[in-house]
Amino acid sequence: MKKNGVKMIKINSKNVDVFYGKKQALFNINLDIEENQVTALIGPSGCGKSTFLRCLNRMNDVIDICRVKGQIIINDFDINDKSCDVVRLREKIGMVFQKPNPFPKTIYENISYGPTIHGMAQSKNEMDEIVENSLKKAALWEEVKDRLHEPGTGLSGGQQQRLCIARAISVKPEVILMDEPCSALDPIATAQIEELIDELKKDHTIIIVTHSMAQAARVSQNTGFFHLGELIEHGSTDKIFKNPENKRTQDYITGRFG
Amino acid sequence: MNLVIFIFIVLLGFTSYYFGRKKAYSIQATNTRLTALPQFYGYYLAIWCAIPAFIIYSLWAIFEPSIVKLIILSDYSNQGHLDDELNLIYEKTKSLSRGQFSGEITTYLETSAEKYLNLRSIAQNSKVVLILAIIIASIVYGYKRISSNNRTREPVEKFLNAVLFTASLAAILTTIGIVFSLIFQTIDFFKVIPLFDFIFGTHWYPAKAFVRDASEPLDPSMYSDTFGAVPIFAGTFFIALIAMCVAIPIGLMSGIYLAEYASTKVRQYAKPLIEILAGIPTVVYGFFAALTVGPFLKDIGTAMGLEVSAESALAAGGVMGIMIIPFISSLSDDVITSVPQSLRDGSYAMGATKSETIKKVIFPAALPGIVGSILLGVSRAVGETMIVVMASGLAANLTFNPLESTSTITAQIVVILIGDQAFGDPKTQAAFALGMTLFLVTLSLNIFALRVVKKYREKYE
Repeated sequence: MKKNGVKMIKINSKNVDVFYGKKQALFNINLDIEENQVTALIGPSGCGKSTFLRCLNRMNDVIDICRVKGQIIINDFDINDKSCDVVRLREKIGMVFQKPNPFPKTIYENISYGPTIHGMAQSKNEMDEIVENSLKKAALWEEVKDRLHEPGTGLSGGQQQRLCIARAISVKPEVILMDEPCSALDPIATAQIEELIDELKKDHTIIIVTHSMAQAARVSQNTGFFHLGELIEHGSTDKIFKNPENKRTQDYITGRFG
Repeated sequence: MNLVIFIFIVLLGFTSYYFGRKKAYSIQATNTRLTALPQFYGYYLAIWCAIPAFIIYSLWAIFEPSIVKLIILSDYSNQGHLDDELNLIYEKTKSLSRGQFSGEITTYLETSAEKYLNLRSIAQNSKVVLILAIIIASIVYGYKRISSNNRTREPVEKFLNAVLFTASLAAILTTIGIVFSLIFQTIDFFKVIPLFDFIFGTHWYPAKAFVRDASEPLDPSMYSDTFGAVPIFAGTFFIALIAMCVAIPIGLMSGIYLAEYASTKVRQYAKPLIEILAGIPTVVYGFFAALTVGPFLKDIGTAMGLEVSAESALAAGGVMGIMIIPFISSLSDDVITSVPQSLRDGSYAMGATKSETIKKVIFPAALPGIVGSILLGVSRAVGETMIVVMASGLAANLTFNPLESTSTITAQIVVILIGDQAFGDPKTQAAFALGMTLFLVTLSLNIFALRVVKKYREKYE
């Protein structure tokens, strides 16, 4: 989105380094993420794109040996600062994982999980509304409205992933991080998710890590190319795919390595 | 001599392995492709060498004594002895032949003893000869059959299959045997004591059965009010309950701590340390309960003005609970650790804290496994004997006061079977009835636990 012709920057990362123990996984990443756009992060396996994604909601905290340096500024606030409340941060920044990971609970409970822990609903009716809206936004409502109280693990893979998206958007996050959300899905389910991503960008800023360059080209407006822990090139998807500046980028998107 | 034969067969088996393999190698050396790896030919020959010999050997061991006995006693067959007398004569003959007989030696006996020794040496020699012949024949046969187009892998695999099958069969047959001996004795017991009295009677006093004069005929009416098992059933479940009240919270919380909170280093040391608890013999727990915890509780109770028996259900149950902690903590730790990381990630990514994640996602997901571990703990508690015998006394009081002494099924079995006892006596058979009851209870608990665990497994597969 442009406001007065100026692109709004939602996330601004400055000199981000990440270490796993002694091994450095990311080197000096400077990347701006535009608001209400889809940004794709591409690159060969092990290039650090998922690591970078996990920096944005501090999921790397879960890994004992992982250290993050540098600044990641979201809404004028450095999330790596000590004063940052991780619970609030993750309420603002949702995440969808590579493999669908619904909780072994009912569909309803899967969605109501986030709103419950953040105290977002005052009554049962309010919660019902949140669940319904989230499922509708995730294009899953029609398929599951009659079996909300059946286990979420009983759904098909594509449905499970949309359930996870519904779970993520139930707390109305500003940003949604997606870590290869379609890699475990078939082409039809993938197309549904991609359609959904396009829809979601109206209300959310989306960052998607993907192995499929075709997918990056289809869903994203901006693209960043990672290689060996460095951000090689970033810019509008059009430019990256049609006219990359860096030779490595060109080699990768034309399939010469990766 | 038997040991020598045995070792000889084993050694020959090993040797023929090498010969079989060697022949296979030599066939291979002529650029012929074998149907199996050379060691299979070795195993094949070793099996041919050892198995027929062992079969003959064991058949001989089974039948030799009875055949010898038949031949010896055939001399006495026309003298009109009773079976018991014949057995006695045979035993006398045997001890005389060993030179250990101290009674009156008759000519009859002397002849028999000589004949016995003679027969034994014939049997021994013919056994050696027969086994040697069998071994040679089967090795030659097996060796001849080793050729490039003879399959050896299948027979060897079949043999292994048979060995493994026999091993599991042995375990199963033992179980069946034990269960049947329990069943028959229990049935005998209930022929004298009505089932109703046993299950609903509130007075357990098996010592009363001692009073009976063995020469008098058995009169069931004198046992009324002797074998009422309610006090000991109640005591069993009461003590198990106390134990679980100690074991479940502590075990579960330490399991959760180890799985979710402890750093790798703490876990590395803490887990084995907790598991050491499981390695302490229960008799050690028993005297810990009887000599340390019991008197300690009594002192505290006296200071608080309470009447505490030195042998109390609380002491036994509490120490039993400590004994069960490692089962619950270790098993629930494993179960919690096996909850997929993706569920934790999903919960953290929603902004849940660690304790919320554990409470709302991990615990429910791991619950069936945790229930399984608790049930295994319960069946340990119900079956535990030593601690109760030592710390809670042997008097079967019907009480629910944890400060008083009470007794359990297992402890009563010990009471009944210590010292002299007569088979066929209701007092002895009462032990079988109690054992049967205990077996049924723990069996159903185990089946239930396995069901729950199985249900859990299906969840992530």
